[in-house]
Amino acid sequence: MKLTDTKNIMVYVETADKAPVNCALEALGKASEIASSRGEEVIAVLIGKDLERATDLSIQAGADKVIIVDRDCNQVEAYRSILLEVIKKYKPSVVMAGATPLGKDLTPVLAMRFESGCAVDVIDIKITDDKFVMTCPVYGGTVLNDIVIKESPIVMTIRSGAFSKVIDSSRKGEIIKEDISVPESTLLTKVLEAVKEIGEQVNLEEAEVIVSGGRGMGSKENFELVKKLADVCGGVVGATRPAIEDEWVPRSHQVGQSGKIVSPKLYIACGISGATQHLSGMVGSEYIVAINKDEDAPIFDVADVGIVGDAIKVVPLLIEEIKKIKAM
Amino acid sequence: MEILVCIKQVPDDSVEINLNSSTGKPNLEGVTQIVNAFDTYALEMATRLKEKVGGEITVVSIGDESVKNSLKNCLAVGGDRAFLVKDDSESLDPKSVSKFLIKAKEDIEANLGKKFDIIFCGKEATDYALGQVGLLVADELSLPVVTNVVDIETEGESAKIRQETEDGYNILEASLPCVVTVQKPNYEPRYPTIKTKMAARKKTIDELQPAEKPENTVEVVRVFEPVKRSAGVKIKTETAEEAVEQAIKLMTEAKVF
Ligand SMILES: Cc1cc2nc3c(=O)[nH]c(=O)nc-3n(C[C@H](O)[C@H](O)[C@H](O)COP(=O)(O)OP(=O)(O)OC[C@H]3O[C@@H](n4cnc5c(N)ncnc54)[C@H](O)[C@@H]3O)c2cc1C
Repeated sequence: MKLTDTKNIMVYVETADKAPVNCALEALGKASEIASSRGEEVIAVLIGKDLERATDLSIQAGADKVIIVDRDCNQVEAYRSILLEVIKKYKPSVVMAGATPLGKDLTPVLAMRFESGCAVDVIDIKITDDKFVMTCPVYGGTVLNDIVIKESPIVMTIRSGAFSKVIDSSRKGEIIKEDISVPESTLLTKVLEAVKEIGEQVNLEEAEVIVSGGRGMGSKENFELVKKLADVCGGVVGATRPAIEDEWVPRSHQVGQSGKIVSPKLYIACGISGATQHLSGMVGSEYIVAINKDEDAPIFDVADVGIVGDAIKVVPLLIEEIKKIKAM
Repeated sequence: MEILVCIKQVPDDSVEINLNSSTGKPNLEGVTQIVNAFDTYALEMATRLKEKVGGEITVVSIGDESVKNSLKNCLAVGGDRAFLVKDDSESLDPKSVSKFLIKAKEDIEANLGKKFDIIFCGKEATDYALGQVGLLVADELSLPVVTNVVDIETEGESAKIRQETEDGYNILEASLPCVVTVQKPNYEPRYPTIKTKMAARKKTIDELQPAEKPENTVEVVRVFEPVKRSAGVKIKTETAEEAVEQAIKLMTEAKVF
């Protein structure tokens, strides 16, 4: 089905524990900037229960209209069929979602249903000759592609941290309730169990300081040093995939291509080689400190300060020094 | 269990790919072509399933003659037969790939006289990381699809699938046939043995005709490199104490604390 006469930017605002996920709010900010330059509107779509706070935040982050579909969903197919209906009715020329697992599950099919295409992990958007030019990382972020999509709606997922969230509590918006049912026939899978693994929730995307450890930390015991350093810095713990596979920390701490994309003010990498799959998750950090015993480790190519040395010796000293600074 | 595993040949992901400034394209010269990591996880998961419940694994890919080598590697680690959809395009968009795979699936089914119960894909390819193909194939065929799969069991006509989520996991049920896209499970793909390699080398890989290419809706208008971070100061001193002292000084100057 082709959509004609399209206008406005629609943002699907995914929620977790009734709050909007960060990258959806970031998407709203960018959408608002673009829409206002084109005299268009930003339409946020929220699906779920008890979404008052999420509605307010969506408006404050840039939505002119919020469409609320008050329905408890736990299947991707349900979200997808609701969004299909909303898109058919409101005919946006652009549909954005955060580049989360759900966003990435929804968007390709939405695009396909409207005979359009889908840009993935968008990190920049420019309007050139009235065209949306989207920048997407390829080859683990070492190369960037600018792409255009020739049909409407242009569908995309926005990478976390690519745009900044602007919360303006004075913004006003219109709230619209839509009652959309999900046909049984579209539900092809059944969720038997949804398990949140115990262990603290880490919000790597919003952290200002991240201290990450890699295989070079050598053992679970030594990895405690990474946690201590994160503590004294007031930051959170990140890790590379090997550190996770060895179960030194839970998977939610993984930074990189198949983990979280982060952009803290300070990133300290301890015993991390700097493989592209890790780098692509953390090169957006403002200031990078790396500790590695191999002076040729690729992590040093991106580090503002690189310490060539044994992390097991260096990290405890750093902890002491930073404690002193923090005590001042 | 009749299993179809879709694989993509990609440049070795342990090599950093940069732009070739004279061609304006990613410089892939001298980079070995390998099976996409997530597809190797998919093949391993499929092989483990086959070992448990019986059946056969068909591996399919799209590309030029060189992809046959990757397919042979798959035959050495679990695949029973392999097909190549012959296409020389430099790259295809996910829509074309899914159309090609659907036609291939139908052609192979007609050829074998059997229907596939499960289609395995990797969750994404390490080159473009789009993660769309499995979803599009399933949607077009109106089949259930589960992404980020780390484990699968089958029982009669249905599959119990463990899906990794951001904060844990889901257990989902889907009726067969279904499509799964595989995330890194907590095991590594097996290595071929000399014997399995030899056996794989002897097998022929049949070619299939591609489907009609749909109109491309996505166009790459520019390829470029991100602004490189420049390496800062590298501290190499006799003692760790000296190194830390210098590092702290630089960090304080940069006002990171
Ligand atoms: C499809 C795919 C997706 C991936 N996704 C991710 C991802 O999201 N995130 C991720 O991190 N990885 C990912 N990887 C893995 C990635 O390729 C690397 O294997 C990984 O990042 C390496 O982790 P590491 O630096 O901890 O370990 P290694 O590469 O083994 O490096 C350890 C480093 O520690 C140094 N070292 C050793 N001992 C010490 C010491 N005492 N003091 C100081 N330094 C020491 C060594 O010199 C070395 O440089 C992915 C891989 C694939 C194929």
